[in-house]
Amino acid sequence: MSDSILLTDIDPQELSEAVQLLDGWEVKQVPADQLARAVGGGADSGFRAVLIESEDPTVLRSAIERAHAASIPVVVACADDVGRRRAVELKAEEWYRCPPTPEEIAQRIRAAVGRGAPHLGTADDKIERVEYEQLLHDSLTGLPTLPVMIEQCRALFKERGELVVLYLNFVRYSKIEEIYGWEKLDAVLETTAAAVREFLEDTALSTSRLMVSFTNDDDFIFFHVPAAGVAAASENEITDIVTRLQRHVGGRIEAQHGEDIAALFDIYVGRAHVYYNPKIRLERLIYRGIREAANASRSIETRERARRVADLRTSLRDRSVYVDYHPIVVTETREIFGYEALARGVMRSLRSPEVMFDVAAEADLVWELSRLCRSRAIEGIETRLRPNELLFLNVDPHDFNDPAFNEHEVKYPTRVVIEITERTAIKDYPKFRERLKSFREKGFRFAVDDAGSGYAGLGSIANLEPDFIKLDISLINAIDTNFLKQNLVETMVRFANDHGAKVIAEGVEHAEEFNTVRDLGVHLVQGFFLHRPSTLPVAPVAKSLVGG
Amino acid sequence: MTPANKPPILVVDDNPDNAEIIRQYLEIRGYPTTVAHSGDEALALFETIKPAVVLLDVMMPGRDGWEVCRVMKQHPTLGRSVRVVMVTALDELRDKHEALQTGADDYVEKPFDLPSLAATVERNLKMQRAKAS
Repeated sequence: MSDSILLTDIDPQELSEAVQLLDGWEVKQVPADQLARAVGGGADSGFRAVLIESEDPTVLRSAIERAHAASIPVVVACADDVGRRRAVELKAEEWYRCPPTPEEIAQRIRAAVGRGAPHLGTADDKIERVEYEQLLHDSLTGLPTLPVMIEQCRALFKERGELVVLYLNFVRYSKIEEIYGWEKLDAVLETTAAAVREFLEDTALSTSRLMVSFTNDDDFIFFHVPAAGVAAASENEITDIVTRLQRHVGGRIEAQHGEDIAALFDIYVGRAHVYYNPKIRLERLIYRGIREAANASRSIETRERARRVADLRTSLRDRSVYVDYHPIVVTETREIFGYEALARGVMRSLRSPEVMFDVAAEADLVWELSRLCRSRAIEGIETRLRPNELLFLNVDPHDFNDPAFNEHEVKYPTRVVIEITERTAIKDYPKFRERLKSFREKGFRFAVDDAGSGYAGLGSIANLEPDFIKLDISLINAIDTNFLKQNLVETMVRFANDHGAKVIAEGVEHAEEFNTVRDLGVHLVQGFFLHRPSTLPVAPVAKSLVGG
Repeated sequence: MTPANKPPILVVDDNPDNAEIIRQYLEIRGYPTTVAHSGDEALALFETIKPAVVLLDVMMPGRDGWEVCRVMKQHPTLGRSVRVVMVTALDELRDKHEALQTGADDYVEKPFDLPSLAATVERNLKMQRAKAS
């Protein structure tokens, strides 16, 4: 007897050609109302598929349900649209329209069998598997998640009686996501995890170490169980390891993602010792250890912040802020059109503009810092820029409330483009536009920064009547492989052309990205692919300042 | 061209007519095509079929296209290589941002014509090959 039997309510004569195409199949016909009972025998009966022609909904439903309960796939022959819909609703694996060709029948049966008869139970299992998979292992770092880790270290911890928890708190990673988008943060996390792993392979801790990461978060936990006969690492050893780890990861990030992102990188490591206690549940011990280590890392962070605030106060007093100028070029000719001014702290801890302004916000020194940065940047118009080049100046909408910032503060209004980020919510549009108007009358131009990041639609961009639209970096990142981004940028270019504005793509890092934005009609480009930001030489020079 | 050397495609649409039309069109072009009629079904088939491209309807009862895309893109092994094309009737900027959030790669507006749909599939396969090599 064949083990591939097609159970059906159709006359075998009609199916003979189709069955020949299926090779080695037999047909067993039963009246429609007996299909459900017949199929009840399950796979043992040799039925590999059920083919139903009956249009009786009750017959159809019970036959399909029984077939699925026995893991047998079902094909429905449908006379009309109603039949088709019913077949889909009842989750038949396949269906075909009548009258079919023998090939069609054979193909549908093959396809149904090929799906492996996902009766409801297994289908649910598979979905759950796909979903649980991402809960057990972090898809970016490939590291196991906490529950998996606790199971893995249970026996070891019991045996050795001691566990060191290191909590690796990557403080400013959320900033990376805010500025560059989640894809960039994902890439940075990947680099980080690889660098941490690589580093730990060659350290003294390499015996019985275990690492976890939270899925989709930026903190890692590291469990260190001392090897048999070896004393747990001393405080000093750990401190030393942490310093070296910091350097190693920082270096990797700078090499792969550039100094701007590396400047945002900071890691604070908290640690806790956990000793095995048979009276307390092991999971609880570990969770407490993690909490303790996390708190320790936070208190280091707080200390570090206080230090930075002090650094900032010193910087403001000494005016120790310098400006990097990042060229913006004309896409077609690659000629320099202007420069975006990026203010940086002279002190190493304040090198990143984002960090510096974060610290200023914490210490209520934003206006003071903004004033210093603005005046430093504008000095460059006289001393560093050539006569026809524009200066793009970042101004937070809140700065417009600063009485010291007004249309008279800057000497060369026609050479300044004020960049307003789309991210800060502008509450009072009419009032804000009034303020802009007085600047505009003086000759200032405006750019909407981070456009297309999803904060505001085209409507509110149009509201500001910008001369330039700066596309959000996340839109440019890997734009050559993402057609959605291309579509969005195309829309923005069309919008800009309709409104007499020019589009600037920033964050262009690769030739492919450059070619893509050029083909999409983006007018101006800024990014490492063409130039890195630099302090320009004091006397303007004729040659272009190629950095990278 | 035999189906064996063309990469598999998963079509997800709760409307059986749409799904069937797309499947027939792609199968004629030699792509082994599988149809899922719901988000759950698509996820259940995902690991079995290992599709190179998923054509994903957005508006589906139950688990919608965005969520299916998100889960697929986070799959530890298949998530990297799969290209997800969202198929939707809503042409809104906000929609595209939502698509970017979930990791979608491309976008087809409804109503679409089959040749342009095929072109979309083609260009995503090309990208996928370029990434793999």
